[in-house]
Amino acid sequence: MTLVTIRSDGSSLLEGYRRTVGQRTLTVLERVARRLKGHRIVMVNSTSTGGGVAEILHRLVALLNELGVPTTWEVMPGDARFYGITKTIHNTLHGWPGSLSPEDRDYFHEMNRRAAERLALDGDLVLIHDPQPAAIVAHRRRPHQHWVWRCHIDLSRANPEVWEFLAPEVTRYDAAVFSHVAFVPPLPIPAYLVPPSIDPLSDKNRELSEEEEDALLDPLDLPSRKPWITQVSRFDRIKDPSGVVDAFLLARKREDAHLVLAGGTADDDPEGAEVLNEVQTKVAGRSDVSVLSLPPDAHLTINAMQRRSTVVLQKSLREGFALTVSEALWKRRAVVASAVGGIPLQVLHERTGLLVRSIEGCAFQITRLLRSAELRRRLGQAGREHVREHFLHPREACDYLAVFARLIERGI
Amino acid sequence: MPEPFELHGVVHLVRPIGYRAHDLESLRVGIAGASAQTLFYHAYQPQLRYSAVTDLPPDDFSAWVNGVVQDRETAERLSFAVQHRAGSCAELRDALVQVLLSVPEKARLQRAAPDEGDFVFLEMDSVAVETGRYASDSVELMQHLAEVEPVVIFYHLVEQPWLDPERPSLIHWVEKGGDRRLAEWLRLSLMSGLPLEEGRRRLMRRWRQSRLGRSVAEATASPEHERREAGRRAVAGLVRRITQSEQSDDPGHDS
Repeated sequence: MTLVTIRSDGSSLLEGYRRTVGQRTLTVLERVARRLKGHRIVMVNSTSTGGGVAEILHRLVALLNELGVPTTWEVMPGDARFYGITKTIHNTLHGWPGSLSPEDRDYFHEMNRRAAERLALDGDLVLIHDPQPAAIVAHRRRPHQHWVWRCHIDLSRANPEVWEFLAPEVTRYDAAVFSHVAFVPPLPIPAYLVPPSIDPLSDKNRELSEEEEDALLDPLDLPSRKPWITQVSRFDRIKDPSGVVDAFLLARKREDAHLVLAGGTADDDPEGAEVLNEVQTKVAGRSDVSVLSLPPDAHLTINAMQRRSTVVLQKSLREGFALTVSEALWKRRAVVASAVGGIPLQVLHERTGLLVRSIEGCAFQITRLLRSAELRRRLGQAGREHVREHFLHPREACDYLAVFARLIERGI
Repeated sequence: MPEPFELHGVVHLVRPIGYRAHDLESLRVGIAGASAQTLFYHAYQPQLRYSAVTDLPPDDFSAWVNGVVQDRETAERLSFAVQHRAGSCAELRDALVQVLLSVPEKARLQRAAPDEGDFVFLEMDSVAVETGRYASDSVELMQHLAEVEPVVIFYHLVEQPWLDPERPSLIHWVEKGGDRRLAEWLRLSLMSGLPLEEGRRRLMRRWRQSRLGRSVAEATASPEHERREAGRRAVAGLVRRITQSEQSDDPGHDS
């Protein structure tokens, strides 16, 4: 079976969003959905579990159906060889070295052709996610259909050879959608910008009671009386954990605080383990720094940690979109972050958070925030409203519907 | 009053036009050749994009010149040009280009962004959305404007009059209905670049104050039981507004 059935626990997702984000945010979405009455959407990606795209699709498909836009989700079948090839495509599009052999290219097309035969692509609006199923369009496109390619990947450093392989498939679509302007390659079709979003109902972002927070945080043995300065990121040099420690130590000379560096376990990433080791060595013997290696499913713990933090950092040297920033802003946290990638869209300097460019700048802003509860409150409140309007799932759903509405209207 | 007026909302889709500015000179070239949708998106759409921010929303041009190029004086002057929003696309373009031309050419080339800090020109594509709300007179219109989402107000009072001035707008409709004073208030309410919610609050306050005298005059001529009923309705309306405002302030009720 390739059709993924969306399970429901009987509660209305729409109602959940309404309670969490407010009616005003949903009104526009409901109205755009009405414009698509009589149309049918098919989403296609390559996995139903694991990864951010599958997470979003679970919610999105259920939400669109509740809004009265019949939407199904097809998962492209594959085998180990195909996934090996698509992993290479994924990594090289992210800028890693690698290439595709002629056999790899043929196999990629062959698997897309087979998927085109097997999948139920009978909707008139088809949204294909990421490169794996991108070539299905060549085999299954019908005249009455509108096809959109949604790229969740940062293509700003894409390997030109691999992009040239994929680009002819992308140009068969009516439009493409990218997360950030820096990710958009030159294309002859309309390219829309739709930023990614967070789910306010997920374990990572839902409201927690004080008791829940205590239960989640007690085992971590973090000091409860000191303000926490927290960065949640995998242990990777581009997230600059070493720079975070340096900035904290400078700020610590002025104000008492505790640094929490929390990241995922790095079992399958040798460099990650190396970076984790470097950070641990750097802070060895310090009682005011905690380095936590968390399991990948520690969503509730991260949620509780962000909520208890006085300042949340994202001092990356390079970024894709960095939705951890939106996660912190949604929790009304004061955020200090680097002005890279998609961060400036989320952090409007001095309005929803503070942008920095150096270790000293980061230390200065941490100190400033530790000293002013009023500044933290003002930035946190504005940050939450900014995320409510721009970086929650209902807005992303609304944008997809608007793209289709535009294509239908223009008869593209 | 003329035919009932239908209120619309919009969803703004955004797409890159393929041009980037690296310094003040390439910013000038970009502005000189930009479409109305592009200029509008960067100059005025921030008013909607950052409607949650209580301070004056920054336009994209001056925000970039200030924050990335770090030329405060030019940024201030660009801000001024946008805030005093020239009435048309051509006037705005001219005002912005003049500000940039006032910087000597050599300096325009020298005042540049760091790597990866280019200004990316974007174009706005508005997808219209029906609200199902119609106003048959000024009173009904103002009731709707008090309740609709910010994008509806933005579309009718900022976007449509600026991007499509030839097409009859909400303000024209109010004028046609004979309420010139309200038409003028609507015209001025957001054109000063106020944050949307603040603009709406001021407009509503003005409107209610203007209705006060008329309501009192009408009420004095009414019999006692009608006055009592009107008083009851006014209190009920006030309670409803306060409750709605509390609910919309924070539906999350979080800590």
